Amino acid sequence: MQIVIYGAVISSIYALLAVGFTLIFGVARILNLAHGSFYALGAYGVYTLTANARLPLWLAALVSVLLVGCLGVAIERVLVRPLRRSMLAVLLITLAVALMVEQVLLLTFGSEARNVPSMVDATYQLFGVDISGQRLLAFAGAVVVLAGLWGFLQFTRLGSAILAVSQDAEAAQYMGIPSDRMYSIVMGVSAAMAAVAGVLVAPFQSVIPSMGLLPLVKAFAIVVVGGLGSIAGSIVGALLLGFSETIIAFEVSIEWSQIVSVAAVLITLIVRPAGFFGKRAAF
Amino acid sequence: MSELLQVQGLNKWFGGLHAVKDVSFALQPGSITGVLGPNGAGKTTMFNLLTGFIAVDSGSVLFDGHSLTGLVPHRIVNCGLARTFQLARPFAGMSVVENVEVACLAPRVRKAGKPRERARALLDQVGLGRQAELDADVLPYGDLRRLEIARALATNPKLLLLDEPFAGLGGSEIGPLAELIRTLHESEGLSILIIEHKLREFMQLVHHVIAMDFGEVVAVGTPSEIVRHPRVIEAYLGTAQIDLELARHEGAGRA
Amino acid sequence: MRSQRILTIDWLGALLAFLLLAAIPLVFRSTYMLGVMTVALCYGMWAASWDFMSGLTGRENFGHSLFIGAGAYTAGFLNVNFGADPWWSLLAAPLVAVLFSLLMGFPTLRLRGPYFALAMLSASAVMQNLTIIFSAYTGGQDGLNGLFPMLDSVPAYYYLTLGFLAASAVLLRLLANSSWGVILRAIRGDEATCQAAGINVTFYKIASLMISAAVAGLGGALYAHYQLQVGPDLFAVILSINIIIMVYVGGIGSIYGPIGGAILLNALTESLRGLSEYRLWVYTVVLMIILFFLPQGLIAPLWRRVRSLFA
Repeated sequence: MQIVIYGAVISSIYALLAVGFTLIFGVARILNLAHGSFYALGAYGVYTLTANARLPLWLAALVSVLLVGCLGVAIERVLVRPLRRSMLAVLLITLAVALMVEQVLLLTFGSEARNVPSMVDATYQLFGVDISGQRLLAFAGAVVVLAGLWGFLQFTRLGSAILAVSQDAEAAQYMGIPSDRMYSIVMGVSAAMAAVAGVLVAPFQSVIPSMGLLPLVKAFAIVVVGGLGSIAGSIVGALLLGFSETIIAFEVSIEWSQIVSVAAVLITLIVRPAGFFGKRAAF
Repeated sequence: MSELLQVQGLNKWFGGLHAVKDVSFALQPGSITGVLGPNGAGKTTMFNLLTGFIAVDSGSVLFDGHSLTGLVPHRIVNCGLARTFQLARPFAGMSVVENVEVACLAPRVRKAGKPRERARALLDQVGLGRQAELDADVLPYGDLRRLEIARALATNPKLLLLDEPFAGLGGSEIGPLAELIRTLHESEGLSILIIEHKLREFMQLVHHVIAMDFGEVVAVGTPSEIVRHPRVIEAYLGTAQIDLELARHEGAGRA
Repeated sequence: MRSQRILTIDWLGALLAFLLLAAIPLVFRSTYMLGVMTVALCYGMWAASWDFMSGLTGRENFGHSLFIGAGAYTAGFLNVNFGADPWWSLLAAPLVAVLFSLLMGFPTLRLRGPYFALAMLSASAVMQNLTIIFSAYTGGQDGLNGLFPMLDSVPAYYYLTLGFLAASAVLLRLLANSSWGVILRAIRGDEATCQAAGINVTFYKIASLMISAAVAGLGGALYAHYQLQVGPDLFAVILSINIIIMVYVGGIGSIYGPIGGAILLNALTESLRGLSEYRLWVYTVVLMIILFFLPQGLIAPLWRRVRSLFA
């Protein structure tokens, strides 16, 4: 039972990260290696705003997410857009951003883990399993955001425009949809989603400058397995990875659980490079 | 006289689409044959099947006594069956002579002489001698076709498959290219199989025609027989068009 | 193929570079400096070997550290776990690395470009995790300690490494200049056309990956016996990426350029040693400069400029 509950929490966070990652790829063909940085910045943002600016926790979380979203937009406009012609160049520039963010965080905050207070202090009992309120909140928060994204894409005009661009950017352009602006918006949304994940887990994960690396690897792995550009694939992949890791961590060892993500990538690439739900082969 | 190429019951499906349907034909050594058919008739797919770029679903291909089904492309080339591509893709970043030199390094011809020198000679043969040191990317379409042919010739083939060599060429480029192909056939005794759309070039170049439509062979014969064949007319040409071609054909005295 | 004159100038330039590198222990007495240079030379072997395969064929390998780690850990196992003479590492490491390249090469080389890159990357990440998991044999996160070098003096070890680097570089360059190089560059141009030209593309891709792995593994062993320890970091993705950056700085496809790039970047990061937090900045800034301003690299274009003065 423990596995089910913890697995669900981890999977929901993974899904949040993976969907954001696959969104920006599906729409704008950007393999955003800085995705983990947005996650880290979300966490550090909440920390700074509560510790230094003394904002209430909820407000700090909101502001942090908004700021990171804006940063995402800015990065797309300034750094990615001029290099759009070459996918490799875009990849390397996002890598450069990721490296720089980690360095800046290291210089500003040092390498010691920072403490972010929980939004929900209580511990609950669910089906006989002890689980912290924060973890439950993380699960709920992730589900809410994902549902909100789905609703946004399905029911709003902007959402439909984004879906149109992801299917055929040129055709969308002919229909009057400004693809360039869409890319920036989606980057902002993707970054904000990563920041939400960072904010939700900050109280129980170590907030250190390199905290964005593993989530990036996991998100990447999920997206490769699920199929680049497929939101459904990312959610299924997130569930698969989240539960496999939890099961292996509980039954075997933590170290073995860490290999699941990279092994999954390797196996998927050898067996079915487009991913198991990919609509079209990436690149 | 045994046949150079014997194709029996060739079939290929792409999902539900039966792209090549029970294709059978034979080529004699020293022949120059054309494959005629509208877009989507399965001509290029058949070429890809013969040359190993696509896997055969069923049927057999016997070339010079060897069975080609199931072989990878480079092995087929080394048996003596060479091809050009419809969309000529030269080796980017390499010079024209280097492009041909690569083919001179194929196992079949590697010992035939110094690759560099052979490459230069082949370029002279197709009329690209002066462009040898240029970057292959800067060649115009017509010259790229010649480069393709030079590269195919480098492997010392017995049968040369040309995939729409005249596509995209202007009037002034077509004539010289056709002349080159004719020369290769007549002076080298090279057997040639050409896919082409442009009827006029066909008539003046080939001795036999295999007409295809919807993946099947619908008619086989000489050029003048083919243009009169009802199925070919129905599939490929309108009646007005056929009268025009016949007139031009008879006028040229080649019927 | 270059004219005879250009070839001669190239080899003279290589000889000059070799003599300069050989002169370093005579000029700089500091064992610390020599140590830094020895590491730089190892990076040179890794960069040159990457360039030979990925630079020429255009199939970018993002998991080069797989071969480095394989070579280094082989040296570690033989020397520490089995107490073997260090000289054996120089034979075994390349062989083990080649084995890895065969194992990974067959399933991944048929994948299109970025998939190949990603597959090799995850292969090295998987190895990194495996070395941590099987800590009983590999020492886990702490790795294996207690390797000892085959030559005791630092200058002697420097010359040993330089010797192997020079030999590898010459071999790789000769291959690149030969018909082998023509074929590899054709693979970069268009694989289908290459097949149609009668070339066994798969054979050449795998063979060049094996050669690349052998040199990288050898470098890994030399590095291991210098550092006296091996750890999972030798399988890290960041190592592969740093090497790729060095190759781009040097000039992709030239073999000698990446060696220069490796030495340059190592020297650069060493000169900032005091400010250890800035090491990563160096690579990041260099990466961005190359991306935006110098896609052809620095060293190879520079050498070609110098060469044209004499040609």
